[in-house]
Amino acid sequence: MGLIAAFYRYFQLRRGWLVLLLLLLLAVAGWNISHLKIEESIAAMLPDGESQVAHDFQLLQKAPFARQLVIHITAAAEIDSDELLAATERLRLALPAELFNHPLSGPGEMVASPLINQIGDYLPELIDAADLQTIAAQLSPEQIDHRLAADLAQLLQPQGMVLKEKIRRDPLQLERLALQKLSYLNPIPQVQLENGHFLSRDGRSSLILADTPVQITDAVGGKALLAAFSVACLQLPDGIRAELISGHPYTLANAETIQGDMKLVLLISGIGILLLFFLFLRSIRALFVYLLPLFSMAVALVVAKSWFGTLSGITVGFGAVLLGITIDFGLHVYFALRYGQCKQGREQLLRAVSRPVLFGGLTTIAAFAVLLSSELPGQRQLAVFAIAGIVTALLLALLFLPHFIGSGDKAESSSKWQLRRHVYDRQPVLRIGVLLLWLLVVTFAAVQAQSLSINAELRQLSYLPPELQQAEQHLGDTWGDMRSRALVFASASNLEGVLQRNELVWQRLKNHGLLAGVVSLAPLFPSQQTQQQRLQAWEDFWQQHQATARDLVQLSGQKYGFSAAAFAPFWERLNRPVTLLDQDIIKSWGLSRALDSLLLVSDQGYQLLTLIPDQPELINTLDAEFSKFPGITLVSQHHFSQQLSHEIGADFSRFISFAGIAVVVLLLLLFRRLPEVLLALLPVLTGLLVMFGGMSWLGLEMNLFNVVASILIIGLGVDYGIFMVCHGQQEEDLASSRAILVSGLTTLVGFGALVLARHPALHSIGLTVLLGISAAVPTAVLVIPAFRPKRH
Amino acid sequence: MVKKLIFIYLFFFFVLSAAMSYADEGALAPLLAELKLAAAETETLSSHFSQEKYLNIFAEKLISEGRFAYQRPDRLRWELLSPVASGFVLRGGKGERWNSLSQERTSFSVKSDPIMGMIAQQLLAWARVDIDWLQNRYRMELQSTEPVMLRLYPLDQGEATFIEYLQIRFSDDRRHVAEVLMVEQGGDSTLIRFVDAKINTELAADAFQVPEF
Repeated sequence: MGLIAAFYRYFQLRRGWLVLLLLLLLAVAGWNISHLKIEESIAAMLPDGESQVAHDFQLLQKAPFARQLVIHITAAAEIDSDELLAATERLRLALPAELFNHPLSGPGEMVASPLINQIGDYLPELIDAADLQTIAAQLSPEQIDHRLAADLAQLLQPQGMVLKEKIRRDPLQLERLALQKLSYLNPIPQVQLENGHFLSRDGRSSLILADTPVQITDAVGGKALLAAFSVACLQLPDGIRAELISGHPYTLANAETIQGDMKLVLLISGIGILLLFFLFLRSIRALFVYLLPLFSMAVALVVAKSWFGTLSGITVGFGAVLLGITIDFGLHVYFALRYGQCKQGREQLLRAVSRPVLFGGLTTIAAFAVLLSSELPGQRQLAVFAIAGIVTALLLALLFLPHFIGSGDKAESSSKWQLRRHVYDRQPVLRIGVLLLWLLVVTFAAVQAQSLSINAELRQLSYLPPELQQAEQHLGDTWGDMRSRALVFASASNLEGVLQRNELVWQRLKNHGLLAGVVSLAPLFPSQQTQQQRLQAWEDFWQQHQATARDLVQLSGQKYGFSAAAFAPFWERLNRPVTLLDQDIIKSWGLSRALDSLLLVSDQGYQLLTLIPDQPELINTLDAEFSKFPGITLVSQHHFSQQLSHEIGADFSRFISFAGIAVVVLLLLLFRRLPEVLLALLPVLTGLLVMFGGMSWLGLEMNLFNVVASILIIGLGVDYGIFMVCHGQQEEDLASSRAILVSGLTTLVGFGALVLARHPALHSIGLTVLLGISAAVPTAVLVIPAFRPKRH
Repeated sequence: MVKKLIFIYLFFFFVLSAAMSYADEGALAPLLAELKLAAAETETLSSHFSQEKYLNIFAEKLISEGRFAYQRPDRLRWELLSPVASGFVLRGGKGERWNSLSQERTSFSVKSDPIMGMIAQQLLAWARVDIDWLQNRYRMELQSTEPVMLRLYPLDQGEATFIEYLQIRFSDDRRHVAEVLMVEQGGDSTLIRFVDAKINTELAADAFQVPEF
């Protein structure tokens, strides 16, 4: 404190240097800010690092449709499917290739794919033990006779000419067993194919799938993407509409909503702060107090930029709002120096106010410092940003501001504000009443707070426009669950390893009878090891059954008029040496896209996805089972939400504990007496309790942003406590009640206005601050003096 | 290939009498126009047929018999009565197949079943006697005028690698196709003879329904 007083004394006659220093500081900050790179992405608010949640979150982003654009085209009742598919094709061709990569409206005509003619050549590798049993059952005399009769009937029909060679190759229709494996590659449950296009079962909807280079979190790129989509949709005739379902519309809607909200909030905050200025300050010199947050923010930006390189737009936006609290330091100094009373003069007033300001600042810094250990990069950026801003604000408030706010007005010093200090002396009943009311509110809030729950659903943090939600619901109703299935990742350093682990996943699902709704490459792309085993089993099988089967086919063939060589291609293929299936063969069948969406290759190795229905009970069972196997990970939205919820709860407990410990230690250092420490903690504890209780009472849940807002309540609440307890202890009159009231009202106007925001994150911050500060300010101003009146 | 097959069947259904001299394009055009005009008057058509298949896959010539029916604009019945009762009916874009031997009955959509889709496309094109469409897909040669006989060579490379040619003979009164010969590249061939054809007579109520087994 002595240092601050000495600084004040030294520069009292050298203010020009201070002005110069400030201007220099502003110039440096301005230059840095002009080169600041802001990332318009929400990625900073998603987990990173090495935690399980961060790992699962990254895995969830690899789901096939999470990475793709899905365009859902719907026709009115009077439009037939031909017209719908023609329009779909026009739309597909109108999509700009640089934004919509490889747009696909269906797999194309399957008859044109080499798959139909070639898959039978790989029967030995694809047929498993269960299939061999099925084949064995089909080799009875009755079954063979029945099959050849059906072949004859087919050959006599018009389509017989097309099927003739296929019947020669496969008279017993064994290829069906291989073709069935393809059904496990279909990620769209309720799709049918019409002329090679995806068509819904009711014939009213079609689909276009496309990749895009635009990151889902990129709001600017997303805007360009949506604009291009709107232009392409002009190709659609009346009665046919298209919806783009991907993360981009959400990102853009959120960005635009936040922009709109900020305009509204800044307008209302601005008007509110002006009103506060005219009501409580009414001095041109008070403008310096209002400039303090701006200076702090400029320095904070420079520091955060130097620390992180690129900053998230959300961090900058939220951080700028957060630094609004730094006005408090200025207000306390301003009120103390302008309206405070001290026999020893202005320097002593500064010395007296600097103690609570400094400790208040330190407790706020300590509270924000706990965010440095957050899983969210945005929260870590926020911590650095806030700490840098608060340090700057402290320095400015204590070292610079005293030189620019002029001397106090003696007439104002003895204003009515002083009278409140004595009101409890004059009206003891009022003191009891305040304490009882406070106790009542705290008890009610404590009871309510017990039922407060945590909602970790990331979507709840975003603005979800009803039309986008409807579009997603419509997509799910029409096509089944495309986009929210659980994922089982098999990982290995090489292809063979990953295929073997993928087979293990498949086998486990099969053992549980859970193959319905599963998408997996395992049935169609076995590991080399499995293929070799199957080849051996195939050869053994036919060594045992071929002679008999030949006789039976010959016999029935003669009966239906088939020549002796009719099925020579079948027997030739049965005994032909085979080549093992590999990626190239599967790709040559036109399945590149399916393969690429499930088989992911990176520098770390290979990952193979299996998609399964995201049913909580199923997921819990399988998660326990798969966790026993190395290289296999199960992730699901449901499971992820549970984990995230747990993490947020743990994070929150950790933040509150660390911040609490830091604050208590600082308070002990400051007051060195437990009663004073407890008194100083009253506003923050009341604020937090009312915040939790109020949220619960209003039916709200705790989310990620509330955690940050809680830190804010801690920082501010402790400040209020420190000032009021110091106010009670010190001889000097620092006009603390008035400063706290104006500071609380400023915070309410600044943050509380966020309650009007449409964006759920901003709204929830506004609401929590509104509840917390509304309780912390009266507790500081009315309840602390009621417990411990100022000594005279 | 299926398209060719359908072509044959539909020639029989819808192409009616015409007069023609030699394989002279100048003579072919008015003949085709005349056939188209006559086909426009056809509301219903029914007939029996015999089919002789000379396929390598069979030990000897395989003879089968059946019947067909057509009703404007988009209903068809193709039915084999022996040796295996089987066939299909088409009602617009939807249809059903049956096989009495395996007791199987399956529905299909011409849009989701590519093979039946091609068959339906050909059948309906011929039902409308779309001369422009025919001339786009086939090179036509007039073989004789008494009786009228056309030989059609596929222009599409894919079809041409499969089918060598189709030969269509019309009835003496030129009101319907009497005989279709389809010759495949590998030497296999199919001959269908249509008899007892009835034009614009009332068809049975269940003509386009699947029979009971």
